[in-house]
Amino acid sequence: MEPIIATQNLKKVYRLGKVDVPALRGVDLVVQEGEFLAVVGPSGCGKSTLLHILGGLTGPTSGSVLVDGNDFCTMTDGDRTRFRRHKIGFVFQRFNLLPTLTARQNIHIAQDIQGNGFNPHRFDMVVDMLGIREKLNHKPFAMSGGEQQRVAIARAVICEPKILLADEPTGNLDTENSQIVLNMMRMLNRSFRQTILMITHNPEAAAVSDRVVRMRDGRVVSD
Amino acid sequence: MINRMILQNIFHRPIRTAVSILAVAIEVGMVLLVVGLTSGLVHDTAKRVEGVGADILVQPPGASLFFGLSQAPMPIKIGDRLAEIPRVLAVSPALFQFHSSGGLNIIYGIDLDSFDKVGGGFVYHSGGPFEQPFDILVDDWYAKANQVKVGRTLTFLNHDFRVTGIVEHGKGSRLFIPLKTAQDLANAQDRASIFFVKCSDPAYTDQVVEGIHKLLPRYQVLSVREYMSMMTSNNLPFLPAFINVMIGVAVVIGFLVIFLSMYTTITERTREIGILKSLGASKTYIVEAILREASLMALIGILSGYAGTLITRKLILKSFPTLSVDLTFEWALWAALLAIAGTLIGAFYPALRAAQLDPVDALAYE
Repeated sequence: MEPIIATQNLKKVYRLGKVDVPALRGVDLVVQEGEFLAVVGPSGCGKSTLLHILGGLTGPTSGSVLVDGNDFCTMTDGDRTRFRRHKIGFVFQRFNLLPTLTARQNIHIAQDIQGNGFNPHRFDMVVDMLGIREKLNHKPFAMSGGEQQRVAIARAVICEPKILLADEPTGNLDTENSQIVLNMMRMLNRSFRQTILMITHNPEAAAVSDRVVRMRDGRVVSD
Repeated sequence: MINRMILQNIFHRPIRTAVSILAVAIEVGMVLLVVGLTSGLVHDTAKRVEGVGADILVQPPGASLFFGLSQAPMPIKIGDRLAEIPRVLAVSPALFQFHSSGGLNIIYGIDLDSFDKVGGGFVYHSGGPFEQPFDILVDDWYAKANQVKVGRTLTFLNHDFRVTGIVEHGKGSRLFIPLKTAQDLANAQDRASIFFVKCSDPAYTDQVVEGIHKLLPRYQVLSVREYMSMMTSNNLPFLPAFINVMIGVAVVIGFLVIFLSMYTTITERTREIGILKSLGASKTYIVEAILREASLMALIGILSGYAGTLITRKLILKSFPTLSVDLTFEWALWAALLAIAGTLIGAFYPALRAAQLDPVDALAYE
């Protein structure tokens, strides 16, 4: 079976002033569809850069990235945006909900951007699964961190993305809420074969995944 | 959904939104009031000249359509020769005096008998015709604006005039003094600035104009019909340039405020733009969202501008009853189009900048 993510000798170099700063120094990674993968490693090892490249938020400097059969190296910025819209869901450490919108509107806007219209069945299913029905009319500032992250997960999966990319999803949560969020991600993975790639510092979070990949200095050091 | 987000964004920063709307409203109000006041002035002047009742106006060579600007009087004897032209019923000379102290006034020095023959006579609200050389007639609008009553003394051209009558407005000027007095004060004895010519039948106007042209080839001879069609802002010296400059200033004010408002909005919402991008929002989606937000503010600003203009017009007319402000649908539309264009241009660069933000940098923005 074709892997859903395959990178080969993936490199990313940022230029800060006149200095080249390598963030990824040749990452080889294969992820199968339906896998729940945790990427762990110290700060600055390139985890977030890898996630941004896999999500099409930024392009690689060299190497190859195949995501669901699409070669990101040959895609334009617009192509990657279209791909992201339909195939990728993001969950961030800081939740990243739009502060002026309610939870319901934050979820709707993902559907609006995707352009396939409102799907009430999918909406109800996701909202009930994540237990946020009572919070739908609340704005982010009126919700706890755990509730915000559940809304963020709902927004990420409402359009049925092929891949869910989570960047430290429990980084801003207490133990109880972290566990709730991790359980939900596990459930999404088990119930819907949702491919999840999660970046984390937290060994307990990594333990929830099927597979743990360790990174250091821009490379995968153990898989 | 995008519309809800725009609405929420607009309410999120009420002061900034209010300032943007106010700028557009001022832009619309300035355009409408500048155009309304100038065209009101022109139309009012034209209507009053038409109200004299003459069919033809004879002025010296190179005279202005704005009578107050004409300072080259003609020999009064020309009037006798005009009266001899077939189909001419009456000829009335007038000498204009420009008085700028305490407001801009054009005083007509008139020969009351011939002026009445041309226009059918004044309608007196109170008082009656001149009795002495330093008597003056004022129209009812001037009287109302300046609380003038019959018998009161008014100072014009460094002389005191006694008000002998208050007449119905619309007969050329708002102030009338005897022709002889005006000539003496201007040191222009036996001279006139204009001749109002009345034909025995308006149908003979063109024929009489032709006759006058033959008699006075270099003089400016206009039928009142022709004069009315020429009395537009576009035909008056400097007025179109003045209007264009004022409109330009108004548009620039609107543009700059919207530009700054949207620019700060984009900076403040950098992270939110990053979130939208992470959800797959295209550059077009982001540009459209920002332009729609600016357009909504422009729309509210335009409506506020219309309301403000109507209120200001009422206040102007109450404070200065002799002024008129012509508000036309055509210019209301133009003002709206200018406001929308200024808004879209002002919002376009910030929108483009937002669309080009790097999503990773935007998401990391604090």
